[in-house]
Amino acid sequence: MTTRPVTRLRARTLAGGIAVLLATMLMAVLIGAAELGWQRVLAEIWAQLVGGTSPLSEREAAILWQLRVPRVLLAGAVGAALAMSGAAFQGVFRNPLADPFLLGAAAGAGMAATIVVVFAPALTLWAASALPVAAFAGAVGGVALSWLLSTSYGGVSPTTLLLAGVAVSAFLTAVQTFVQQLNADTIRQVYNWMLGGLAITGWADFVSVIPYIGAAAVVLMVCARLLDVLSLGDAEAASLGVNPGRLRLLLISAASLATAAAVSVSGLIGFVGIIVPHFIRLTVGASYRVIVPLSVLGGASFLIVADQIARTAMPGELPIGVVTAFAGAPFFIIVLRRNAEKLW
Amino acid sequence: MRSHRWSMRRVAAAVSVLALTIAGCADREGDSRSASAADSGFPLTVTTPDGGKLTLESKPERIVSLSPTATEMLYAVGAGDQVVAVDDQSNYPKDAPRTKLSGLTPSPDKISDYAPDLVVVDNDVDNLSATLDKIGTKTLILPAAKTLDDAYAQFELVGKVTGHPDEGKDLADRTKREIEKIVADAPKPADPLTYYHELDQTYYTVTSETFIGQVYALFGLRNIADGDDPSAHGGYPQLSAEKIIEADPDLIFLADTICCGQSPETVRKRPGWDTLTAVRNGHVIALDDDIASRWGPRIVDLVRTIADAVEKVEGAG
Amino acid sequence: MVSPVVELRNVRAGYRDRLVLDGVSLTVSAGEWMAVIGPNGAGKSTLVKAMLGLTRLGGEVLIRGRDRRTLPARESARIIGYAPQQPAIPGGLTVTDYVLLGRTPHLGLLARERSADQRVVADVLRRLDLDKLAARRLGTLSGGERQRAVLARALAQQADVLLLDEPTTGLDLGHAQALLDLVDRLRREDGTTVVSTLHDLTLAGQYADRVLLLDGGETVAAGPPEEVLTPELLARHYDADVEVVTVAGRQVVIPVRTNGR
Repeated sequence: MTTRPVTRLRARTLAGGIAVLLATMLMAVLIGAAELGWQRVLAEIWAQLVGGTSPLSEREAAILWQLRVPRVLLAGAVGAALAMSGAAFQGVFRNPLADPFLLGAAAGAGMAATIVVVFAPALTLWAASALPVAAFAGAVGGVALSWLLSTSYGGVSPTTLLLAGVAVSAFLTAVQTFVQQLNADTIRQVYNWMLGGLAITGWADFVSVIPYIGAAAVVLMVCARLLDVLSLGDAEAASLGVNPGRLRLLLISAASLATAAAVSVSGLIGFVGIIVPHFIRLTVGASYRVIVPLSVLGGASFLIVADQIARTAMPGELPIGVVTAFAGAPFFIIVLRRNAEKLW
Repeated sequence: MRSHRWSMRRVAAAVSVLALTIAGCADREGDSRSASAADSGFPLTVTTPDGGKLTLESKPERIVSLSPTATEMLYAVGAGDQVVAVDDQSNYPKDAPRTKLSGLTPSPDKISDYAPDLVVVDNDVDNLSATLDKIGTKTLILPAAKTLDDAYAQFELVGKVTGHPDEGKDLADRTKREIEKIVADAPKPADPLTYYHELDQTYYTVTSETFIGQVYALFGLRNIADGDDPSAHGGYPQLSAEKIIEADPDLIFLADTICCGQSPETVRKRPGWDTLTAVRNGHVIALDDDIASRWGPRIVDLVRTIADAVEKVEGAG
Repeated sequence: MVSPVVELRNVRAGYRDRLVLDGVSLTVSAGEWMAVIGPNGAGKSTLVKAMLGLTRLGGEVLIRGRDRRTLPARESARIIGYAPQQPAIPGGLTVTDYVLLGRTPHLGLLARERSADQRVVADVLRRLDLDKLAARRLGTLSGGERQRAVLARALAQQADVLLLDEPTTGLDLGHAQALLDLVDRLRREDGTTVVSTLHDLTLAGQYADRVLLLDGGETVAAGPPEEVLTPELLARHYDADVEVVTVAGRQVVIPVRTNGR
């Protein structure tokens, strides 16, 4: 594949990405755990669009519109959030192994979730909706803690940030494990949540996270070009008129906000944040102008497909983290072998 | 003449000795009878559910229970006075001496603080029995029952090892009879009713292969989670909301009212669940988490609740 | 009297644990080529960073007569272009992508590169003989080609001052000469001011208008090459034995081996 001089997001590539996303969304809505029959679902969608009679019973319509459609949309939003955050983190840290949970978002969310499950289950009705809020707060708190820790050493270089993130993650995970050990009966509940899944989601969850993920997506796509500048290192970026510290803060804030929103509804889904940006890098180009927007589309499609497999492959629900790893790893290995020389 | 008197005296002595002996023997027999009534069968060797043997020299007077189900059994057979400590999850009966001991992560040191002569657990975590054996304490392992007969056998066993064999057997027989009666009296619809038993709000459930699944099966109820293979996922699969709504079970049993705050109201609020017939007709039954997860004497309460639910559905027509 | 385009007044600069520059003052006039020379550790790279506003601790750095601290970063980026000694090379970017990054100070936050920017880049690539490599990824270039790409990016900034930190690193004789010839030609065509640190004293003497000798964080000498590149000064500050001859009107510094045969 001959490379073009300028790596720019071409209309054709963008259209292709959108087409793939729409196709995966459609397929995910047509086929699900309940056997509604794809023709009938198509007919139903058509009926809703043009105003005909619905071929589905009330229960079936509820399954489609109250459960399946919001779940597919949410899978897309979460996938997009994780993939674009992964891309942003890879750019900020200039590290191909960076993922959105690097600065303590995952550890913070897990610890907050554990604390809610252990100490606040008495607030029964509350507990159900307290978990996402707590996970969100925990994720944001974890990242903030890493940031504060590294700034206390003066200057937020990627290395100090990374090390602070490692330290904070380890500490918060230890707290979580400690609390869990003292309350071993809650382990299953927390573990369920942590394995990641969209099993009990509905429109409310989608509506609650989309503002954060949408806002973050706008910020990251606008700053995509600046991520390329940041990849030159602090000194060179500064010489080009960019304030690397402030840019890093902005990018990390946006990415962590999106990650926290995603984690609050879906638990911890790994693999998406690292692999999707790399896949784009290997197949389309190495500039973040291309990687960020296509990660949004690619991450959404990827997770929609993974979630569909998670809910239809076996009679019960598979943990989605297992599916992303199983499906993604071999696929990625194939792509890697074909394009290894293009990796940085 | 002297020999005569001497022999008379001898005979008298012999007779009195004999009489005393007989009297003494009779008393001793009475003593031993009352003694054995108090120490009936000790020392005692029983076969435990895992097939091993447990020997107790004397009646245990300092029992520590780390299994909430075992706690219920101990009190039901009348051995409550012999219990000195129960674990942090043993919340029934309320007057059981609840401590901070953990049945999930037991600490041999903390257990030995209570100087028990018998420790009852439902799981030999970290080889607890071997550790306790070193300090001379016996362990009785009563694992989760797989069938109702297993449960009845455990009632009897608990009775035996605590010196209440009659009460144990009585409890087993009584429970069995009550359950059989409730089942017999319950309506048996020609078209079996379907049910969904919820373990937590992420839709984990039980299949008919589990203990509780078998209890439901007594009523001829069919489990929507059985699918093609009830033994998949070890009997505890996670369903998706879509499948549950598609199956539209006649009855929904919530075993997550305490752990996870679920109730018929929260169920109705779930997206799409208000289209279920069970939700519309008020056939969502809130169970007590503990009763639904233990295999103790209160299993009768569960059976009664199920029977009531079936009647409600059948009565509604 | 035209004010100098870059001026340092008593600049003290360094890093957390040590001071490297201790009171350096210098002026650079518009259009001239100043070569900064000095032994290892003299503070040449620190001086470059101080001019970029990256490490200054005390004193003033004036750009076009204005204190650097008062200038917004983008504006000073339009005035000073920088080609570092050890540039970060994102191997996956194409040469054109990389050189386009030089246009950043001229773009708004949201603005994509316009055709004007594309033209500048194409022009620069041509002048540096990189147009045939335009679509090649940076990771596949040779050392010399990469140096040219770095210079191209600095040129794409269309800055008034070019700050070159050891621009001939890793270049063979011919490529080093070619690059410096190119810089000289460009600055004559565009009127660009050049400040470069140079390892090779002869090259410094051949291309620079003025030479600044740094040692121990201080300016030791500043002036035209014939005044600074003298055997006495070089022997004292480099602790080396040299002879300086004049070839074609320019100083040539020859290291002379005095002990042994």
